[in-house]
Amino acid sequence: MESEFKLASEVNNNCLIIHTSGYINNEGGEKIADVFHHHFENGITRIVVNLEKSNVVNSIGISFLIEIIEKLNDVGGKMVFTNLDPAIEKTLTIMGLFNFAGKEATVNDAIKTLS
Amino acid sequence: MEENIKLKMMLPKIHNIELVAIEGMDRMAKHMGILDTKIKEAHILVTEAVINALEHSGQKRPRVRVEFELTHERLIIFVRDYGKGFEPESIEDPDINKKLGAVSKRGWGLKLMKSMSDDFIIESNEHGTKITIIKNLV
Repeated sequence: MESEFKLASEVNNNCLIIHTSGYINNEGGEKIADVFHHHFENGITRIVVNLEKSNVVNSIGISFLIEIIEKLNDVGGKMVFTNLDPAIEKTLTIMGLFNFAGKEATVNDAIKTLS
Repeated sequence: MEENIKLKMMLPKIHNIELVAIEGMDRMAKHMGILDTKIKEAHILVTEAVINALEHSGQKRPRVRVEFELTHERLIIFVRDYGKGFEPESIEDPDINKKLGAVSKRGWGLKLMKSMSDDFIIESNEHGTKITIIKNLV
């Protein structure tokens, strides 16, 4: 199991795309939030979070994503998750995240949705 | 006779120690020939149970006992802490609508464990808290 959290980000079509790998715990969540805030301050309000290489999460890590969704809601922005492991998708569903964020199979699908 | 294997461990409060429990569970499942996909949800259950116990038990030197019992039909997870206990009924179910705008976005552990398990029992008193989680695998 890949436990060390890593993150890569890019901007495509004015969307911030965050690719994670490893365990999304409190530190992982905080790193995602840090990258988001950097781009949010520069006007980016559409975010794709690609969880393809993250097989384990905890609710503390996800709570940072709720913070991001809150900020996006305030400005009419949107977050879309992609490449979700079924267990993680169920976790996010139980937490109610899909009431405020989207989900798509791939990053390209998410970019199309946000465009 | 039905194959049944058990694993017991005592975990101290160390960074990401919950992954040790998951690793142990995964090895048991592999030994039994149980597909990864069947125990993925148990990863979430174990993670939340261990973190909750270590974070909220109020122990001076937090430690948590984790036990697994695995058959091809089901997985039973016991997580016990030795803290001050709490009243489970006093914990309000978190709601995303309330969390948005609230200072704390946390507090999802119990809800996730209840929702993702097939049976969830919590026993708590002044000597600690014991959680029993059952996850059916068929």
